[in-house]
Amino acid sequence: MSANTSIVMPGERVTSVEDVAKGKRIILGPGLRRVDDKVVASKAGPLRHKEPNTFWVDSYQRRYVPARGDLIIGIVKARAGDMYRVDIGSADTASISYLAFEAATKKNRPDLNPGDLLYARVLNANADIEPELVCVNSNGKHGKLGVLQDGFFFKCSLNLGRLLLRDSCPALAAIKDELPYEIAVGVNGRIWVKAHSTRETVGLANAIMTLEHAGYAEIDKICGNLGSVLQA
Amino acid sequence: MPSKMKPRLSRGVLDMKFMQRTKAKVEKEDDDEQSRALYSNELNQKMLNSNSNFIIEPSYSICAGLSDGRLSFRGMNPELERLLELERAEKEGKTKPEQPTEVNDEQMAETYYANQATAISKTIQKKMTARNDINKRKSNQKKMQFKKPRQDDGGI
Repeated sequence: MSANTSIVMPGERVTSVEDVAKGKRIILGPGLRRVDDKVVASKAGPLRHKEPNTFWVDSYQRRYVPARGDLIIGIVKARAGDMYRVDIGSADTASISYLAFEAATKKNRPDLNPGDLLYARVLNANADIEPELVCVNSNGKHGKLGVLQDGFFFKCSLNLGRLLLRDSCPALAAIKDELPYEIAVGVNGRIWVKAHSTRETVGLANAIMTLEHAGYAEIDKICGNLGSVLQA
Repeated sequence: MPSKMKPRLSRGVLDMKFMQRTKAKVEKEDDDEQSRALYSNELNQKMLNSNSNFIIEPSYSICAGLSDGRLSFRGMNPELERLLELERAEKEGKTKPEQPTEVNDEQMAETYYANQATAISKTIQKKMTARNDINKRKSNQKKMQFKKPRQDDGGI
């Protein structure tokens, strides 16, 4: 990821992307739209670029827009026949079939109750139909997905979730040096953490939330200081 | 039109454990084909012929190359950590540069041929003995011939 920090506004033509698009195929991520041969921004924020040819706008938002393949944290809201309704922070609640769990059969249903937390993958995301989730991979194994037991759950901006999941993000590694913990970060701006004691868990959550408004550059600085936040 | 049909792997073969990757691939191909068939009458010539340089990707995770957000550190969830370890090993295996060799190529060639020489002599010996065996058996076989049963033995 290059240090491209040009800010774009909704409706603005993004000529820098258009120039690249003349030569090769490019991928337009969220926040960028194609209007004929023009590229127009639809969200406000810094324009990001990843080699070789991906562009997107890293806008600040808290409303999740489901996209296929995303790993998210959802809250089970109700059971509706063969489906569970799951709140994933999007405009519509998502649904998950009781068969979308490892080793689940008609007789052997997963034990899910309203209020349970699920770490799941978005299987279907379309503006016209409700999103669908799964808790198994293509081989029928649960892998990292499934119900999150105990721990502490909080919501944050979508940016914070994404920020923690960058390959080069030092934050999680810095916290690791302080205490053993387990974490689930959903790209829908929901984070679940678990440490050995309540005190540690709350400290952990606070530490992560301090990164909320930090830029990429500031995080390194903050990470050096995380220990003191955890003590508080 | 059997000539147009692509050869397919049977379900029995795809269900085997070592075929899981191929299975995923085949399933994806099938899905793509189905969706193409579904929308084929909706597509017009202009849509088919225009080649756009833009690919729309609505997911932040794919655009930014985000990693999976389920992590465990320092033995908090051993099961999960084992999974992560496996994943890391696989990732490194793919991108690993050439491993440093303890034996250089020349040494390898020497020992290889030295071994092969003995191996060849062994196989020749084996062949020779085997041939001798066959010859012996052949000579034995000549002696053992089917003898016509006597008339009195047959019948009850």
